[in-house]
Amino acid sequence: MPNSASEAGSFPVTRSVPDASSGSDAKSGPGAPSSLSLLASELKTLFRRRRTAAMLVALAAIPVLIAVAVRFSSSVPPGKGPAFLDRISQNGLFLAVTAMLVSVPLFLPLTIGVVAGDTIAGEASLGTLRYLLVAPAGRVRLLLVKYAGALAFCLAAPVTVALAGAAIGASLFPVGPVTLLSGDVVQPPEAALRLVLIAAYLAVSLAGLSAIGLFLSTLTVVPVGAMAATVVLSVVSQVLDQLPQLEWLHPWLFTHYWFGFADVLRQPVLWDSFASNAVLQAGYVAAFGALAYGRFVTKDVLS
Amino acid sequence: MNRAWLRWVPAAAVPAVIAAGVLVGSIPARAGDPLPQKSPAEVLTLLGQHSTRSLSGTIEQSAELGLPELPAAGPTSGPVSAGGAASILEFLTGEHTARIFMDGPTKMRVQVMDRLAERDVIRRDSDVWFYNSKDNSAAHLALPAFASDLPLPVPEAPALPGDLPAPDLLSPVLPMPIPPGPPVLPTPEDLARKFLAVVDSSTAVTVGPDVDVAGRSAYSLVLAPRTQGTLVEKVAIAVDGETGMPLRVSVMARGQAKPAFEAGFTSLSLAVPDDSVFTFVAPPGATVKEVQVPPLPLQPGMPALPPVPGGITPGVVPDTGPEQPTAPEQLPAPDKIPGSDTSLRHRDAPRPTVTGKGWEAVIGFAAAPGGRGAAWTESLLKDPLLSQAAVVVPGGRLLSTALVNVLLTDDGRIFVGMVPAERLQAAAGAA
Repeated sequence: MPNSASEAGSFPVTRSVPDASSGSDAKSGPGAPSSLSLLASELKTLFRRRRTAAMLVALAAIPVLIAVAVRFSSSVPPGKGPAFLDRISQNGLFLAVTAMLVSVPLFLPLTIGVVAGDTIAGEASLGTLRYLLVAPAGRVRLLLVKYAGALAFCLAAPVTVALAGAAIGASLFPVGPVTLLSGDVVQPPEAALRLVLIAAYLAVSLAGLSAIGLFLSTLTVVPVGAMAATVVLSVVSQVLDQLPQLEWLHPWLFTHYWFGFADVLRQPVLWDSFASNAVLQAGYVAAFGALAYGRFVTKDVLS
Repeated sequence: MNRAWLRWVPAAAVPAVIAAGVLVGSIPARAGDPLPQKSPAEVLTLLGQHSTRSLSGTIEQSAELGLPELPAAGPTSGPVSAGGAASILEFLTGEHTARIFMDGPTKMRVQVMDRLAERDVIRRDSDVWFYNSKDNSAAHLALPAFASDLPLPVPEAPALPGDLPAPDLLSPVLPMPIPPGPPVLPTPEDLARKFLAVVDSSTAVTVGPDVDVAGRSAYSLVLAPRTQGTLVEKVAIAVDGETGMPLRVSVMARGQAKPAFEAGFTSLSLAVPDDSVFTFVAPPGATVKEVQVPPLPLQPGMPALPPVPGGITPGVVPDTGPEQPTAPEQLPAPDKIPGSDTSLRHRDAPRPTVTGKGWEAVIGFAAAPGGRGAAWTESLLKDPLLSQAAVVVPGGRLLSTALVNVLLTDDGRIFVGMVPAERLQAAAGAA
């Protein structure tokens, strides 16, 4: 076998798994599971994990905390605290917005980092990666399925925050027409639509980070390392985004448009940041997806 | 070996493709029909005749004046919440984006888009609303009847950032209620107007190579001072080749590659915006202030009508009261364009002195009677940001920017000009 992974060359290479060459053409092979069933089983595994559930519960706890704090304290003076905090007591739907806003810088990247960093490294550390590859699924398909699972979590996380926020906000505070940033007022159904848009915006925002996590996850067999590195990168990127000296770099940082979701709350909706964000994230997905591919298909899977 | 190498090809190719795409995208698109050659006079005429009254677009403004950069605010503290001079400086540093909608002379909406916040000015006929999402405050202003007949040439008068002193800064001095109205970004139109007002024999007017602004080809009208005695190197106005509308104004300072100040459309549609955009009702829960239009005699040289939306920015409203002996809104700001009428607004204030001509003009403000001027200067300098920006020079303190220098003398006089600091000191010494 022409050995590929030269880094691991010092190991006596005992490959028990099909080489990457069986990658994409594997699906034609007999007994290859269909991509859909692979994805379904991946999603089932992901969302059945107690850890995933715990993270979603923790995310849902953010609006609860905010709601309780607002409910049992004196009114918030406008302009203090996170944006929209002062509106919550007048309109419960703002709780969802505030909760998403609060979770953007750290909580969401943290959970995404855990899920994305675990994708490959987690299997490797459990020793299940080689069995996954023994099944003639192909490395490329496995990578894609793993990434799709991470993306599903990217969507689930903000939606959880939004749903929990809207539900708790509606139960503790009055719900009525929502004042947008532009001062225009929209009725609750349209406000709910905007909440969905914000959650979608955040899901798109996190796609790039997931791709980075996926790549980092292919580098190591220690999942915690990949998770931590992913989270740290998201924090570093946000810090760099604050430094005026690095202005030329800002549009290239994957966190640059994270707070652009506020543009959904303008009237008329400003789609520019949505589009810029999508393009930027697509670039990150392509770049780190390609890196992950390069690394994963050349990697010696020993565990 | 070879195969493993091949696996990394995508990883190398993707960044290369992205880089190539970015490079191609950054090359100014010079395709399309070149505009017919025009002389500077013809471009000026084109600019003067333009009658674009319906548009929607996005304006981006950036300033590189050499002022201390305000740290980019986190999600919780937008620049709006910054009090005092920070709000002035806000528009003089960094970048700002605004959307503008116009339909005819009396319907207009400007949305200054801050991070997680927005400041709006909405005008429909004689009703003008201000809204600030930061503190959910609104202000309403009913324009006098005659105003609705007057054309509203874009959010006109106030727009230069210099016209916008911070309300907090002024409130101790001014008995007038200051509307919480958002300062409005200067539109290219405003800037073009200001600069064209000073075109005279001291300015060389040329037409540069065509430029592409917001996807439209435009003539580049370049105004260059003939003198070396000013900080301004040139002013470039992009004039839409089709409509004659100013699309972008860039002010270049001497010895600075980037424009010191630039405002231009990044997207522009000449379609009539949806009428609902101009409808505004104060949202529930908002604090609403009713702002009175002070009776205001029109003066020659004044912007058509100060109370039109542009004009109601905090800095301009107070200027009607005879009870303001000083001119607090004559804040050090780069709008002191020679010939700019802002310096003439105060009927009852001591007339400012003007030394020098054209681009080299230095405008001097006498100290307010009773030592209030010095006190005002003093209070101004208490602001940490301003005091940080001002350096002590012989005879006073100097606020220096790439385009404008402001000298606050120890005895309370103020000298402003788009000239090197030495000329201000000379003017102060001579006066």
